[in-house]
Amino acid sequence: MADITLSPPAPARRPPFGGILGTLARSRFLAHPKVRLALVILVPILLLTALAPVLPIQKPLETNLRAMMQFPSPEHLFGTDKMGRDIFSRTLAGVQVSLVVGFSVAAIALVSGMVLGTLAGFYGGLVDRAIMTVVDIFLAFPSLLLAIGLVSVMGTGLVPVILAISLADVPRFIRLQRSQVLSLRSRAFIDAARTIDASQYWLMSRHIVPNTLAPMLVAASIAAANAILIEASLSFLGLGIMPPEPSLGNIVRDGQTYLEQAWWISTLPGVVILLIAIGLHFLSDGVRELLDPRSRQ
Amino acid sequence: MAEYAAKKFAQMLVTILGVVTLVFFTLRLIPGDAASAMAGDTLSGEALERLREQMGLGEPLVNQYFGFLRDLLAIDLGETITTRIPIAELLLRALPITLSIALGTIVLSVAFSIPLGTLAAYMAHKGRRWLDNALTGTAMVIDLMPSFWTALVLLLIFSLALGWFPASGQLNWNDPWGVAMRLALPVIVLSLSQVATLARITRTAVLEVLNEDYVRTARSLGWSELRVLFRHALKNAALPIATVVGLSFGNLLGGTVIVEFIFTIPGVGNLLITGINSRDYQLVQTLIVLYALLFVVINFTTDLIYKALDPRVQF
Repeated sequence: MADITLSPPAPARRPPFGGILGTLARSRFLAHPKVRLALVILVPILLLTALAPVLPIQKPLETNLRAMMQFPSPEHLFGTDKMGRDIFSRTLAGVQVSLVVGFSVAAIALVSGMVLGTLAGFYGGLVDRAIMTVVDIFLAFPSLLLAIGLVSVMGTGLVPVILAISLADVPRFIRLQRSQVLSLRSRAFIDAARTIDASQYWLMSRHIVPNTLAPMLVAASIAAANAILIEASLSFLGLGIMPPEPSLGNIVRDGQTYLEQAWWISTLPGVVILLIAIGLHFLSDGVRELLDPRSRQ
Repeated sequence: MAEYAAKKFAQMLVTILGVVTLVFFTLRLIPGDAASAMAGDTLSGEALERLREQMGLGEPLVNQYFGFLRDLLAIDLGETITTRIPIAELLLRALPITLSIALGTIVLSVAFSIPLGTLAAYMAHKGRRWLDNALTGTAMVIDLMPSFWTALVLLLIFSLALGWFPASGQLNWNDPWGVAMRLALPVIVLSLSQVATLARITRTAVLEVLNEDYVRTARSLGWSELRVLFRHALKNAALPIATVVGLSFGNLLGGTVIVEFIFTIPGVGNLLITGINSRDYQLVQTLIVLYALLFVVINFTTDLIYKALDPRVQF
């Protein structure tokens, strides 16, 4: 019998980091023009928000009756309102609320969407039917109206607002995740894993979920931007974060009464919302292009 | 087609039943109960008991649920709890206003977005990237502007500074011009973001079609660019555009709440805000169901139109 030496297979070359983050790192994330544009917009806003407590500006809730309704000046960059509060400082405090809402909603929607969507897509049958029936019912409401309806029941304030917007978003994530799982489930590598007796948990956690992550992350960054806009809209309608606690929406609402005498109260914080939305939009676009080899050119 | 329509219709009925059930039980989840939440600190003891009685909260939950379904089927919407006005009467006045805003927005946005999107696609196709980029970039920024902010900026410029449109005032249907002027700014605000979305979809759809063989064939026949663009390209791109018009209706309904609030227009949206602020849950639950109903029916219609336009569609 011929001597066949079975040399152990060469160890598979593992990339320096696995998964999405590795892909992003290797794709020179920071060199992508859209990502750069996003960072140019978002980083200064984040820095200013983080540094707000130590900046030499009036505190967000502090009133100054000697400086009411003042036009923007070096001392009050965005001017002051009826009670002499500094709009710039209030805006930064509002941005903080916006960011908390944006990231919380994205995280809640992402995690619950992945869990429920994976279960629905992977098991099919009754589980799928039950989850998707509820999803379809939630999708029958326009999302802003669903959020309005939910806060009317849950009350105003930060936590109810986050929960209401998340609940309005989760169905979309479940549907996206389910459709991805459905198309993965019949792929050859899943069959291959089944033939070596991989457990269902192993299949889901090692083969299915990692392959669905990229589109879900892109959806999450879009959801963050939307959540910020919906929170602002709710607060503007007087159903979100309640004054005197500042939020970008309720600062704009406060200024509405004085639109003619002091236009800066309403308009300038709105510009900041727009900038954040544009930044997040470019970020998600950039991430999508980096993670999807088909759109990379 | 009939079979497809019947199947979709049955699905729609199930969704509607689900919506009604969800709204009913969500409102019953309010801590305490709806009556004490409504009354706040104003009522106590006997008066609160009477309010509970009046809202039917004393009955078993199942009876309440079927009572709610029966009333909805009989289009008996009940009365507002705070002001004791029949809700149907309020809706009769508010719904035409909101629907006028929504329809006006759809007409205006389709009229602007299709030529703009087609133009952008044509420019992209011809390699004139800068014009395409300018149009696409502007559309993106407009799309991301919060509508309440756009509304205030336009109000500031066109009503307060230039005085072109009235910022407030009664809506009197006997004076159509007055109504049109009063609703013009809200419609423009909602159209802006709608135009941005639709123009982007039109651009993508037309651009895809422009690369098809039959477009090249049409060109080779010597037809003018305009004819090729509108007769051949746009016609075949109409399907995705029509779908997005239908789907964007939900956002539009949300948007009407905001513009009605800002321009103090007595539509359904303002009714909803008033209902929430006065904790009139009877009114709120009826309105939320109504919005969902409108949205579901529009989606159903969009599905049917899609199927009618493209028989290849299989579901």
